[in-house]
Amino acid sequence: MDYLAHLTLNTGIFIILAVSLNLINGICGQFSLGHAGFWAVGAYTGAAYGVFLAPEALPDFINLFISCGIGFVVAALSGLLIGVPCLRLRGDYLAIATLGFGEIIRILIMNMDVVGGPRGFTNIPNWSNLFWVYFWVVITIVFCANLLRGTHGRAIISIREDEIAADSMGIYTFKYKTLAFVIGAGFAGLAGSLFAHAQQFLHPNGFTFMWSVIILLMIILGGLGSITGAIVGAVILTILPEMLRFMGETVSQWRMVIYSILLICLMLWRPSGIFGKHEFNILKFFKKDEEATS
Amino acid sequence: MTTPILETQALTMRFGGLVAVNNFSMQMGDTDLVGVIGPNGAGKTTIFNMITGIYEPTEGDVRLSGKSLVGEQVALITQKGIARTFQNIRLFKDLTVLDNIRLAGHSRMKYGLIANILRTKKFHEEESRLKEEAIKLLKIFKLENKMDHLAKNLPYGEQRKLEIARALATKPKVLLLDEPAAGMNPNETADLTKLIKWVRDEFQIAILLIEHDMRLVMEVCERIYVVDHGELIAHGNPSEIQNNPKVIEAYLGAQSEEGEQ
Repeated sequence: MDYLAHLTLNTGIFIILAVSLNLINGICGQFSLGHAGFWAVGAYTGAAYGVFLAPEALPDFINLFISCGIGFVVAALSGLLIGVPCLRLRGDYLAIATLGFGEIIRILIMNMDVVGGPRGFTNIPNWSNLFWVYFWVVITIVFCANLLRGTHGRAIISIREDEIAADSMGIYTFKYKTLAFVIGAGFAGLAGSLFAHAQQFLHPNGFTFMWSVIILLMIILGGLGSITGAIVGAVILTILPEMLRFMGETVSQWRMVIYSILLICLMLWRPSGIFGKHEFNILKFFKKDEEATS
Repeated sequence: MTTPILETQALTMRFGGLVAVNNFSMQMGDTDLVGVIGPNGAGKTTIFNMITGIYEPTEGDVRLSGKSLVGEQVALITQKGIARTFQNIRLFKDLTVLDNIRLAGHSRMKYGLIANILRTKKFHEEESRLKEEAIKLLKIFKLENKMDHLAKNLPYGEQRKLEIARALATKPKVLLLDEPAAGMNPNETADLTKLIKWVRDEFQIAILLIEHDMRLVMEVCERIYVVDHGELIAHGNPSEIQNNPKVIEAYLGAQSEEGEQ
């Protein structure tokens, strides 16, 4: 696959990761730092299906579909397993607990010989392509956007706004926190499966804590709580380091420094991110026109 | 005698060695308007927190229509019919006025997660019914033209009103108001006085309120419980309370102490 196509595909995968983390961190307000862990769970289970179980007879896209499904379900289940004890914690404590979980997953994989352990997982079938990655990107975005327009989504938002008040409104806050966490983990797993079948090679060190931070950066950059923001953040943070790579030798050498300075500037000028909590909505423009004409 | 709608029996709350509320018993009927007053730190809000399930009482019982609520989750207690407002307003600040009200109807929504994502017919039916109900309520509180505003952008008095409206949107049998007049000017307080009485008559519910503004309490409440240092020191109608020596002592200090000063 050529460089540009690969970059576009990776951008799609990071959009799914950012939108799903945004559901946990931005919309539900639970500070999770374990997203790379769920990503890894999905990647390895999806890849394991591809390597050990997938029937050759099935067409690739059906195999990819099943692989994504497995990645989603297993990651969601691990989200449930982690979420139920951890979501009783708040703020920093939850961040530390989820961070620990991400590292545990990585170390576990490192010691699992079936999936290659420290040698890495090889020979994963190449099933991902741009079409199917962006198909799932659209599904993820539509899922989240529709969720927020219903009572379940509103309940999840109310937890971010004021948990005690949400409780007093008759909303089972713990249930909805867990729901957001499980769905977020599930989509991260799905992204993992797509990633595995695009890279064809996985290594546990590709899922370090740094990746959780980078995904977190994407949603903070775009604006915590905004789906549009998560998408834009993911696009910028996947493409920007690559763009800097081609801007002459000096820039290329200093690209990580420039990258950090840009982030610091953004946080100084727009601490709530590019979009804040707002969404980009085409319909709004039409409405404004109507108001202007009436 | 009929079972009281809300009843507390010998409610006690200890935080370690500190007794915040001791042996607090009260009763209220279906449409009673009852006040709880007392100096700062007397344990009034703690009583509210025990009734609504935020704290589990160390001893004693809270009963709604004769059924014990102790140990139940906060959300379930609300669903059973006790709604409250908070001393320092707790609206969903970054949500619209309409969404604040809609959230209170959450537990009545029957469609599932899948219906939510796929936006099925059932979803649309229930959502439009919820919205209608919410708008009806907002009209009653004269907030309907502000329904798309963010809650945090409302003036203070309207935020208080919205919080009461939101509590009513859970369709409670008992409404608990924690210092509804805090931070209001005399005009706003006068409006609130009317509003509280009107809410009781319109919705036919019982209202229990904590308040420091004596004029409001004396005008609105039919019965008053006075607590001091966690103990119930007096109970009666407004005129009885005003002339009760124990109450005067709690608020103004004992005669002998005044003499010493």
